[in-house]
Amino acid sequence: MDWDKLVQLLVAGATAGSVYALVALGFTMVYGILKLLNLAHGDVLMVGAFIGWGVLGWLGGAQDPSVAVWLLVVLMLMAAMAGCGFLGVAIERFAYRPLRRAPRIAPLISALGVSFFIQNSVLLLFGADFRSYDSFDLVDVGVGVHWGPLNVWIIRLVVMGSALAMMLGLWLLVTRSKLGKAMRATAVDREAAAMMGIDVDRVIVKTFFIGSALAGAAGVLVGLVFGQINHFMGFNYGLKGFTAAVVGGIGSIPGAMLGGLLIGLAEALSVGYIEDLTRGRLGSAFSDLVVFLILIVFMLVRPQGILGKPEVKKV
Amino acid sequence: MRKGLIAAGLAVLVAVAVVTAAVAKPSAQATPAQVAQCTNVSIGFLGPLTGVAAFLGQEQVSWVRFGVQKYNRANGTRFKVVNGDTQLKAPVARTVARRLVSDSNVMAVVGGSESQAVRVSGNLFENANLASISGSATAVDLTKGHPYRSFYRVVPNDAIQAPQIVNYVRRNLDASNVVVIDSQDDYSLPLATAIQRGLRARGATVARESVSADDTDFSAVVANVGNDVDVVVFATQVASAANTLSNQLREQGKDAIVFGTDGAYSPTQYKPRLGYVSSFANDIRFLPSARSIVREYNRYSNNKAFGTFGPPSYMAGWVAMTAITAACADGNATRAEVTRLVRRTNIPSILGGRVRFDGKGDPLPAKFYIFRVSGEKYTLVG
Repeated sequence: MDWDKLVQLLVAGATAGSVYALVALGFTMVYGILKLLNLAHGDVLMVGAFIGWGVLGWLGGAQDPSVAVWLLVVLMLMAAMAGCGFLGVAIERFAYRPLRRAPRIAPLISALGVSFFIQNSVLLLFGADFRSYDSFDLVDVGVGVHWGPLNVWIIRLVVMGSALAMMLGLWLLVTRSKLGKAMRATAVDREAAAMMGIDVDRVIVKTFFIGSALAGAAGVLVGLVFGQINHFMGFNYGLKGFTAAVVGGIGSIPGAMLGGLLIGLAEALSVGYIEDLTRGRLGSAFSDLVVFLILIVFMLVRPQGILGKPEVKKV
Repeated sequence: MRKGLIAAGLAVLVAVAVVTAAVAKPSAQATPAQVAQCTNVSIGFLGPLTGVAAFLGQEQVSWVRFGVQKYNRANGTRFKVVNGDTQLKAPVARTVARRLVSDSNVMAVVGGSESQAVRVSGNLFENANLASISGSATAVDLTKGHPYRSFYRVVPNDAIQAPQIVNYVRRNLDASNVVVIDSQDDYSLPLATAIQRGLRARGATVARESVSADDTDFSAVVANVGNDVDVVVFATQVASAANTLSNQLREQGKDAIVFGTDGAYSPTQYKPRLGYVSSFANDIRFLPSARSIVREYNRYSNNKAFGTFGPPSYMAGWVAMTAITAACADGNATRAEVTRLVRRTNIPSILGGRVRFDGKGDPLPAKFYIFRVSGEKYTLVG
């Protein structure tokens, strides 16, 4: 057993998994309340990555930042979260709210349209070039934990730590706060919640704000840890985040976290071992096959996901 | 009575359909061969203007438009550019190619930018006698056996690139343990395979890995790269991906050097501490003879960054316009006439030398360039 390789694969999987988990949380929150798949969620992540890149450039760039690195990262995260939060609110207001009473296919198609709209707007505004955070210049890749087979760049630790902190914060918000209680009530029965005096529209708006802010943060974290961003990146992260949400149990917040980590680790480990396990028949190119095979297996065997509850309908 | 009426109605409908088809067919067939009024002539552009490789297509079309503006000013012509966005998807490329074929003002096409676009459009253009001149499609099979008779390219093919990379990796870098990574697309798969075979034939130990064209994280693949690997050859069309790969190797404490293929050439995006990259064209920023055109382009594009994709497409456009102008000498031109004249091209190139084609549509002479990269500094080494 090559322990060096295994350890590095686990680190890679946990990093990607943290990002997928943040994206999955946005999917799961919106689905929980509106029963809507917000297919534009990945593109909100992409916008967050561009906002972070803009703040980075505005504050001097990676080679010569005008503020301390930790402050720079915090400002990038805050700007992206605020920008994406408001973007999410705008999407809800203009693309989904008018279709709230329409058949479920209508908002789904609207979501697709929003996705293309955001993607092409960014293409028009920023051009098609890949943009680089140059985070390898911001913090040298040698800075971090180096212990035996373990080599972890400090930015990876920041990414995993921030993702974990945000997930815990969200969990506390949903389980311990008044807003969280209103969100849970709205998710269970929107009409009953309204009759109990909950301002459902406001709860939905806040849910979109929080979910989109998390996606914005995920965008910055992706830019920081992997270095490159482009107008097209949202699709891939959206797809993996959605898979994570389904596998974890769509509608369940701990499920989204668990699903994200599971998908990230499955992806990394399949890159590392698929060739050995299939005796050279399949290569690392087929890692996505493993990820989506997991999705299919869950859909067949446990459609409610790991921590989701089966939907019961009164007949 | 009622049945009779229905039958008569159906007969009339069938007759109308037959007559319409008969009338419509000749005009549809006539389109490609249509004689152009030389006052309203366009060149088509077939490349990815959106999608994951949009940076490539945008750079190319910008250079093509710059070339058209310059040519029009110098020759008093009024060429226009018709955009065809392939989105890097073969089915889309075929649809766009059909549109270009059906536009009777389009007398030549610059592109397809990517080899897969050429594969799906080559026969359409050939049947319409429409010349297509690519500034970046390097797959060997596009000209091997001359499958598309109206296809030309101003860049050399991978049959030249792969052996040059193999030779440099084995002889100059003295690498015996190599990992070759492809990005699962029509560009990189044959190229990576040719490099892998070439290195094995030269006695190197070679492992093969794959990533997706739109991947941004390679840390799992890097974990597969052994500590004793000397060089990682990355066949990619995304320069920043090669940069990330290089940094992630360092992150995991691995000393392997990244050698990017022509798609990785970009001084602003691929800037490892030490790396190598090949290119199908010399970087015109290094050519003293091209200083004025670089200045002009910078003025035209407001200093938009560019790599090695744009200038060859500029030349492809220039080849097209030169041929169309010659064909228009008598006031009218046909696509077949333009295609014949493209074959006989012999014009000076901004990349040095002249643009000429061999019998299969490949450029003469053909050479790839190898650069050593240290940060943003690119040095020609081979």
